[in-house]
Amino acid sequence: MAKKQVVSTTINGQQEEFLCEPRQTLLEVLRDVLDMTGTKEGCSNGNCGACTVLLNGRPIDSCLVLAVEVEGAEIETIEGVAPAGGLHPLQTAFLEQAALQCGICTPGFIMQAKALLEQKPNPTEREIRFYLAGNLCRCTGYDKIVRAVQQAATAQQEVQV
Amino acid sequence: MATVDKPQSATADAGARDYKVIGTRPIRHDGVDKVTGRARYGADIALTGMLHGAVLRSPHAHAKILSIDTSAAKKLPGVRAVVTHADLPDVASKVADLGEGMFDLRDLSRNVLAHDKVLYRGHAVAAVAADNVHIADEALRLIEVKYEVLTPVMDVVEAMQDGAPILHDDLRTEGFVSSDDAADKPTNIAKVFLHEKGNLEQGFAEADLVIEREIRTATVHQGYIEPHNATVHWNADGQITCWISTQGSFVVREQLAGLLQVPVSRVRVIPMEIGGGFGGKIPVYMAPAAAIMSKMTGRPVKMIMDRAAVLEATGPTPGSCVRVKLGVKSDGTIVAGDAWIAFEAGAFPGSPVPAGCMCVFACYDVPNGRVQGFDVVLNRPATKAYRAPGATQVAMATETVIDEICEQLKLDPLEFRLKNGAREGTRRVDGPVFARIGMLETVKAIRDSEHWQSTLDGKWRGRGVASGYWFNAGLKSAVTASVNADGRVSMLEGSTDIGGSRASISMMLAETLGIGAEDITPAVVDTDSIGYTDVTGGSRVTYATGWAAYEAGLDIQRQMCERAASIWDCDSKDVTFAAGTISGPEGKSFSFKELAQKVQSSGDPVIGRGVSDHNEPGGAFATHCVDVEVDPETGKVTILRYTAAQDVGTAIHPAYVEGQIQGGTVQGIGWAINEEYFYDKEGRMRNASLLDYRMPTCYDLPMIDALIVEVPNPGHPYGVRGVGEVPIVPPPAALANAIHAATGIRMTSLPMSPPKVLHELLKARAASGNGK
Amino acid sequence: MRPFEYASPETEAEAADLLADHDGNTAVLAGGTDLLTLLKRDLVTPQRVVDLKTVPSLVGVTPDIDGVRIGALTPLDELQQNPLLAGYQSLLDAIDGIRSVQIQSMGTVGGDLCHLPNCWYFRSGHGLLAMENGESLVETGENRYHAILGNHGPAKFVSASRFAPGLISLGARVRIAGPGADDAETIPLEYFYITPRTERQGVTILRPGQFITHILLPSAAGIQSATYDVLASEGLDWPLVSAAAGVQVEGGLVRDCRIVLGHAAPVPWIAHEAARLLTGRPLNEETAAAAGAAAVAAATPLSRNGYKVQMAAVAVKRALLKATGQLEGGL
Repeated sequence: MAKKQVVSTTINGQQEEFLCEPRQTLLEVLRDVLDMTGTKEGCSNGNCGACTVLLNGRPIDSCLVLAVEVEGAEIETIEGVAPAGGLHPLQTAFLEQAALQCGICTPGFIMQAKALLEQKPNPTEREIRFYLAGNLCRCTGYDKIVRAVQQAATAQQEVQV
Repeated sequence: MATVDKPQSATADAGARDYKVIGTRPIRHDGVDKVTGRARYGADIALTGMLHGAVLRSPHAHAKILSIDTSAAKKLPGVRAVVTHADLPDVASKVADLGEGMFDLRDLSRNVLAHDKVLYRGHAVAAVAADNVHIADEALRLIEVKYEVLTPVMDVVEAMQDGAPILHDDLRTEGFVSSDDAADKPTNIAKVFLHEKGNLEQGFAEADLVIEREIRTATVHQGYIEPHNATVHWNADGQITCWISTQGSFVVREQLAGLLQVPVSRVRVIPMEIGGGFGGKIPVYMAPAAAIMSKMTGRPVKMIMDRAAVLEATGPTPGSCVRVKLGVKSDGTIVAGDAWIAFEAGAFPGSPVPAGCMCVFACYDVPNGRVQGFDVVLNRPATKAYRAPGATQVAMATETVIDEICEQLKLDPLEFRLKNGAREGTRRVDGPVFARIGMLETVKAIRDSEHWQSTLDGKWRGRGVASGYWFNAGLKSAVTASVNADGRVSMLEGSTDIGGSRASISMMLAETLGIGAEDITPAVVDTDSIGYTDVTGGSRVTYATGWAAYEAGLDIQRQMCERAASIWDCDSKDVTFAAGTISGPEGKSFSFKELAQKVQSSGDPVIGRGVSDHNEPGGAFATHCVDVEVDPETGKVTILRYTAAQDVGTAIHPAYVEGQIQGGTVQGIGWAINEEYFYDKEGRMRNASLLDYRMPTCYDLPMIDALIVEVPNPGHPYGVRGVGEVPIVPPPAALANAIHAATGIRMTSLPMSPPKVLHELLKARAASGNGK
Repeated sequence: MRPFEYASPETEAEAADLLADHDGNTAVLAGGTDLLTLLKRDLVTPQRVVDLKTVPSLVGVTPDIDGVRIGALTPLDELQQNPLLAGYQSLLDAIDGIRSVQIQSMGTVGGDLCHLPNCWYFRSGHGLLAMENGESLVETGENRYHAILGNHGPAKFVSASRFAPGLISLGARVRIAGPGADDAETIPLEYFYITPRTERQGVTILRPGQFITHILLPSAAGIQSATYDVLASEGLDWPLVSAAAGVQVEGGLVRDCRIVLGHAAPVPWIAHEAARLLTGRPLNEETAAAAGAAAVAAATPLSRNGYKVQMAAVAVKRALLKATGQLEGGL
């Protein structure tokens, strides 16, 4: 068994240090070492997006990243999305639009949509669908998820104005 | 006796019923936890001393197990236990009802760990528990299994033939077997079903047009995003606790008790949040092995299935061969229908073919009919329920035959359905007579929709419609609810919440009590904390658990009235409860909140109890309309527009009703145009990963317009019908009909993927020697 | 996954030494989208994984003498946004075909060029040649996604690279580095791939310790290019087949043309006949269709992938039309 390494990284704005073997994925470390179970595992090979987190601001599938790779990086997970005592406009929109049924894909979608709105604050429906195409949902048929992202985009724009 | 505000059976026009909570769209109670990642699903649990399990699975589709040597695995540092079927108690054959399909306990025992044969690739052969999942995986590599490989049989029709490889030497056909069949011959046909109505021969003799077609559907999987999980702790005092993502805590309890041969009360099942089920998370897979390994080690054992095993080794829905023959008069009146239905049961008997038989002609008045169904075992994983199990396969046959009939007789397909559609009083071929139902209303909703009224222009574009039916289930549910001093009510129920049902159930309790949905605090609790509740499935939860909540509400009303009477010192006959207000003589009244504040100081706690064992869930009907464009050079089908009309009885929470319609429709779309299991001739599934088992993504789809039709169910206090399942039934047929309209070709097998559509297009082109 | 060491070098030389160690039983970690899947299924079992993302000289796009130089470890989304690549449409089309922004954020062009086959026999442990008891499982088995060209030998898988066809159509070269002086070379991309006759040969010419450092593209001036993917579904999926075309049109006639099929053969397949057919002629619907037919004229489909022949011809036709702005609509 390879020796464990110490990895220093920033997660949701906080400095974190953890021990892991090189063969442990970022997803495994988040869930099993750091007890941050909000990020989910659906397929283990990058096809469902349930494990999406932001790595240096970019959405990635954490099941395909080794934990040792994130030394010095900044990671954002679902646990860091809500501001203190409140909810992010995306979270509110998902609730109001009933954009979740079983909820297992929801953290991945929220991370992905957050990255989208940071890149494109006013996306068209087609752009939303393209950007979310790497996230699978089996319950909703996606309708209400798209509408929730549209609602959040509008809400965020109103705040800016 | 206090009078209570009991809703009447409603008629179709009573949509004007003045509900205060029902029909609104409150935020679901578990919503914040789910959007912040706090909600705990089965894989999220961590217990002190927990071990991690892994499963060794058969690489062969059909083989005898000659020996299993676990000695090397046991010696690997960090491995704490290794089990095989030999470690499970012997279980006699006994049929248990899982709420959406029957299963033999002995078969279940042999499915969770193979006994003397492996019957499908991926069949579990052994399990290990180790300090971490990596060590567990390494241990699997050290287990040596010697197999004698046998020839597998992979096709349902082939499996029915004489001379096919036999899975179970002791299996004999049950059911409607003709007397000239040798009763003692080994077979793969486990059961035969037969329904007859009227006089079939005479019926067809009266027909002006008879069309008979055979369709094949491929095996597809429920595709829930969350893989199976189970964590079990066998305590030193003999109590077994199981934390699991499941659709039915009580059926898990029953299965575990049965497989482990312990009394039911020794097992406590704690349902975690569940990441999708659709029927596939009712049977147990890993929990029994986890339990035994926990007993051996004294530590909790957690097992999570990987995606390949989910696809290879957990119940998909049956692939099928369905032959439908319909006879009609020249004006389109159906005179006779004959269906022959063979479903893959997979490794063990118990496919949903009985349900398929019930649904095949259910949308129509068929005066003379016959339905034959065959439950056939073959070397694929044991099939399980998938959203209206069996109905989608048969609808693909019936609804495409109807489309052909309409084309030949030049009849409008919606008018055909209005003429022949089932209505109150229609008798199904298998016997039951429909009460008030909404089949015709869904057809009219499509006919009057903007979609149907719009023109579809362009070459290689076409529009198709199809209808579907699911009978829904009633079964048992229990609810208890306590009144708190602040006027809010804590509600306990046992229906695991896959789609937001705890919100709908809360709404029905709130409606009954005349308070707001936000005044209910629901909890989905374990098997020790609530009365027996059947599975979350069969579209039954809003109906049955909702009814139990309603009864609990009535119980609370009665107690509150009696309490007010005691406070006012009057006869409880003179106290009434209406719209959240308790009224007494001389104009005295309390609001629910005010009286709640007095409960503590005035007597016993107020705890409402409700149970439901009603079985008039009312059938659910749907009619769908879809526009497609077909790429004539690649066979790719693009969905341009989709409208789904469905009779939901009463839409308790319209957003969640729409969500069920949209979600089910999209699963049906995946089933129709892309999803299938690929097996090679050795019986090995080739596409056991989400890389190659393609489910629809949001970039594949337009918005799905859900048209909610409300024909209240006379068999429910709030008119509820189940909504979750029927939406998956029409899409494949609707798409097949649309593809025909676009290209002139009739697809007779699912999925209608580009290679297959292209093949038919090229064949048609070659046959006609020119363009379309 | 089995245990392995992880190394994160900072220079190409360091990387080469780390990769050559352990008798070359090492693996390059780029975006990880292929390697981690291979590791999880024990399809590769390196003793050491060498992360090249930490070598700054391997990341980024810079102008070259007559074109551009792309660091092999540049993530795909960065390529998409880089103005230096604006004229290389067939490369950008291929990135657009990856319908997962997550994969676009993680994937690198070097990783894509070295992507091992998606052949499901390979992915379930039967090796590149999918042999069992001396027989090819593919020939008589589930071969619907396998090769229709170049499949006379034991290799029947299709090349998994999504970018190689487009890059080859643009005249790309790859620069390779390694531990020894004679490990460094720059070759046309089409020579990077081999069709193996044995398992050990692998799918590229890379020897233990070697890795791709850069992709060199000549100027795109005057070249119209496109990649056309035939997809079964619009979401994340591998193409059923794809085609890339790079054409130079002068005076209404094709002066030079390169057509490459992807996912049709064990290597990116250059359709020489099709290109010859077009040279000196105008590029329109008719000639594009003829080119498509020529590209597959020598196809030898297997028992279940005959449909690919038609689809490959269509892909070629549409890539040509798309490159020259003649392809309508969403197709």
